Order: sequence, then structure tokens, then C-alpha cells
Amino acid sequence: MSDLLGYLLTGLGIGAGFALVGSGMVVIHRVTRVVNLAQGAFAVLAAMLTSALLATGLPHGLAEGAGVLVAAGAGVLTGIVAIGRPGTEPGAALIITLGLGVLAYAVEVTVWGDQPRSYAGLPGAVTLGGARIQAHYLLVIAVTLPVFAALMAFFRGTDPGKALTACAENPYAARVVGIDVRRMGLLAFGLGGALGGLAGVLLTPVQQVTFDSDVTLIVNGFAAAVLGGLTRPGVALAGGLLLGVAQTLIAGYGGGAHQLEIALLVMLAVMVAQAVRAGSVREVAR
Amino acid sequence: MRTRTVLAAAAVTLALPLLLPERHLPVYVLLLLAATVTAGVSLLMGYAGQVSLGQAAFYAIGAYAAGLSAVHGVPTLIGLLVAPVVAALAAVVVGAPLLRLRGHHLAFATLAVHLILLSLLGQGTWAGGAIGLQGIPPLSLAGTPLRDDVGYAYVAWAVLAVVLLISHNVVDSRAGRGLRAAAGSEIAAAAGGVPVGGYRLVVFALSAAFAGLAGGVYAFYLGYLGPGSFPLLLSIEVVVMAVVGGLGTITGPVVGAAVITLLVQALNELGTRPGMPSYAPAALSYAVYALLLIAVVRYLPRGIVPAVAVLRKGTS
Repeated sequence: MSDLLGYLLTGLGIGAGFALVGSGMVVIHRVTRVVNLAQGAFAVLAAMLTSALLATGLPHGLAEGAGVLVAAGAGVLTGIVAIGRPGTEPGAALIITLGLGVLAYAVEVTVWGDQPRSYAGLPGAVTLGGARIQAHYLLVIAVTLPVFAALMAFFRGTDPGKALTACAENPYAARVVGIDVRRMGLLAFGLGGALGGLAGVLLTPVQQVTFDSDVTLIVNGFAAAVLGGLTRPGVALAGGLLLGVAQTLIAGYGGGAHQLEIALLVMLAVMVAQAVRAGSVREVAR
Repeated sequence: MRTRTVLAAAAVTLALPLLLPERHLPVYVLLLLAATVTAGVSLLMGYAGQVSLGQAAFYAIGAYAAGLSAVHGVPTLIGLLVAPVVAALAAVVVGAPLLRLRGHHLAFATLAVHLILLSLLGQGTWAGGAIGLQGIPPLSLAGTPLRDDVGYAYVAWAVLAVVLLISHNVVDSRAGRGLRAAAGSEIAAAAGGVPVGGYRLVVFALSAAFAGLAGGVYAFYLGYLGPGSFPLLLSIEVVVMAVVGGLGTITGPVVGAAVITLLVQALNELGTRPGMPSYAPAALSYAVYALLLIAVVRYLPRGIVPAVAVLRKGTS
């Protein structure tokens, strides 16, 4: 029983990280229709930078904040390169973000080397209902939930948030009422970068990061996001948590190190099921 | 004019293995194998409009099919012929459900296929596990084993020639025209009587067969296979080659593979010079893939070969 609780909380912590990566992809996709393959690179970039800043003696909090800010900046730059040219199709932009993800490898390997990096997170362990878990997992959950609440409030209650939703719903109508759709796209990329960066900064103390960790992060993030059709951040949160819990449970109860494969199979099954459903709907509509 | 260009290119590339210094032959072989895989990607992306981020999975399947059958005593030439068949069958099995997906969904699905395959290969003791498959005999043609690079250079040349010929014929066929129509508008093509789903699966299998055939040559050439021989980056690399050369052209894959391979090779020599840091070769090759891909998609969206064709038309 206490094992179960431990696995659940650990899984929620890991899943919160996936949810952050996935929601970053959702925020970008719903406004720009671009699936950002550089999303995992934002997390790695922020994590590597934070690790380097902590090593120079910068206190916790400041270092993480700087990592997230730089990731947000990287997000805006990605947006400029990917959708800055008017008329770039989402398919071409996808290939550009793939290129940017590989470019991030070159930068990361040059600046920080190709060895895994990590840093200490929240120290100590907490005993909850007989289960001992690392306190840092609780920190991840405690940061992620308010961030999602803020994200929802931002989309529902603020002018830029509403403008982003307007662009997502109908770019043409948004332009008619005077919203700069391209600028909103860049804002979405910046926000996506920050969310990705936050995931990297939060997860690194419990999962060390290498320059190519972005593949794991992006696959899990996409798997979480695809549940909501890549348009609903709330579903990405649920999907990420579910995925994290499922992975830790299976690993905990003797499934070995098959976490990534599980995420991959879930993702494939969900996508095919969605395609089958959408296909029949489309036939009816025709 | 066109025939003469093709013949000249064939003559030059056939003479090259004899003229090149011995140490450059591996680059020649690997370049042609890369071009073979890229030809499949180009067919898939250019004509069928499908993005694959897992093409190297079929390269790996072909390599392992050839390697395993040779290790178990099957004549190597048969092993080489088995490689594309197994890869194509795998593509049919995987493609039947997955080709319902489009665009970025298909891109992620193919990436997932590659990652799942790597994990299966790493854990399967039948495939040598993480250590890999060792002691693959050299390819035997008419009873003589090929032991030097020149022999493999000609095998790779022949394989690429066959693949380009098939591509050319597919593109000019009824199925090829149907696919091009489907890449433009699937509904319109289907309404016009094109069996879109079937054709998409056939092209997927054909592109996998190309990759599998190249993989078979690779297995005999190196004599060793491991999961590490087929990293995810290899799948991305062939996409870069296809996009840079020009999607949906016959010569694009060769040009793309040549440009990328030679550039990476040149930078690799620069990066391994004394005094350069140990990470330099890796960082330089990542930068080449990334910058070329981004520059081509942004400024030459149709790739090098179509751009050059337009230029030549403009000047003549």
C-alpha cells in the first residue's frame, strides 16, 4: 500500500514535467498550427544553463529563473525562424523546428560538453502515509499545478491570453479585429519556451540531463498533448500526469526500464484511434 | 541531352572507386548507401507527402535481416536479397495502422517506431542485444568473398542504380501520377478513382525496401551491427539529405546525400585535427545538419536540384 502511494506521487512528479513540455507544444500548436520539435531542446537548454549557473555559486531560484527566461527567449527565436517568414506552411515550419532542435545539440555540446549533468534539488525525503519519497517530487507538483492554474487564468482572463485564444479559434477573424496574428504566434512560442524550460529546470534534480534528453521529453510531452488533440492544455496536464503515473507503476511493479516504450505505444494507440474516429466523421460530413 | 548527362554521371561515378585513394573509399560507400535510403525518403515525402522520421529503422531491419541470416549460414547473396523483403514486410505491418495518420502525427509515429525498434534490438538476445551482432561474413559474389572496399563500392553503386531506376519508373507510372495527385488533395484524388490508401502503403513499403537493401550492404560491409549503429539522428540525417537535395526529384537524393556527406566529412577532418576539442566533430556535424536544413527550407523550399534547374532554364 505504501509502495503504491510512493509510486503514485513519484509518477505525478515526473508526469507534471511531461505535462509542462506537452502544454508548451499545445500553446504553440493551437495558435500557429506548428508542432514544435524543438520543444525538448528548451528544457535541456534551461537545465544545462541552470546547472552551470548553480556551479558558479548563483543561489537556487535565481539560477532556475534565469534558465526559464533564456528558454523563453529561445522560444521566441525559434518562432522567428520557424514562422517569421509570412506564408511558411506548418509542415515546413515543423522541419525548421527539427533543424533548430539539432542546432541546439551543437550549441549544448559546444558550451557544456556531452556528459550528463544534474544538480541538487529540494533536499531530503518526506514520509507520507508510510511512503518515503524524495521531497523534490512534491516540489515539482507544487510548482506545476499553480502554473497550470495561472495558464488557464491567463487564457481566460487577460487581453493577450484572449487574443491568443482568438488566433487559435479563427486566425482570419482575429486579424479582422486588429490582432497581429504573427506577433501572437511569437508570444505563443515564447510561452512554450518558458513552459519547456520550467520542465527541464524542475526535472533535472531527479533525472539527469544530457544534450539528447530532449527526445524522451518531447516524446512524452507529445504523447501527453496528443490526448487533447494538441489544442487543450488542461488535457495535456491530465495526460502527462496519467503517463507519469503509469510509467512509474509499471517500472515499480517489475516492468523494468520500459517507460519510454509505454509512452510510445500509448501515443501510437491514441493517435490511430483518433484518426479512425476522425475518418468516419469526415466520411459523414462529406 | 538528359541521357548523355546520366551516362556521363554514371561513367564518372564508376571510375571514382579506382581513382580515389584507399582511405576515401569508405566515404564513397557510405555516401551511396545514404543516397539509396534518401531516395526512398524523397519518394515518400515528395510524391506521397508523408514525413517519416524513422526511415533508419528500416535500414536497421534490412541490416539485421541480412546479418542474422548470414550468421546462421544462409548464403550471403540470398541474405542481401532477404534484407529489402523483410524491411518491406515490416513496413506493411507497421504502415497498415499508422498510415491512417497524417503530417506531424505520422512524423511522431515513425519516430516512435524507430525508438521502439532500438529498444527491441537492445534487449533481444537473438539480435546480440546491446553488444550487437558480430562476425557477419563478407558478401560472396559467385563464390568469391568481397574483402576490399572497391568491391563494396561497386555493390553500393549497383544498388543505388537499381533504386534510382525503380524510383524513376514508379514516378512515371500510373501509380506515381495518382500519388502526386493524392499529395495535392487526397479527397480529389480519391474522387478521381485513385486507391490512395493502397498506394500510400505501397510507397511506404517500397521506400522501406530501398532502406533495407542499403542496410543489407552495410551489414556485410562493416561485418558488425549494434543498436548504436542506427541512432535516431540517422533518420533525421536522411530527411535532411532528402530536403536539401530536393524532394520529389530523382537526382535530389544523390545530390543531397553527396552535399551533406562530403561537408560533414570535411568538417570531421577539421574537427579531429590536433588542438581541436574532443566535442568538435560532433558539434560541427550537428551544426551542418541543422543550418543546411533550416536554410534550405527557408530559402530554397524545393531543394537544390529544382533550384539549379530553374537557374539553368533562366540562363539558357
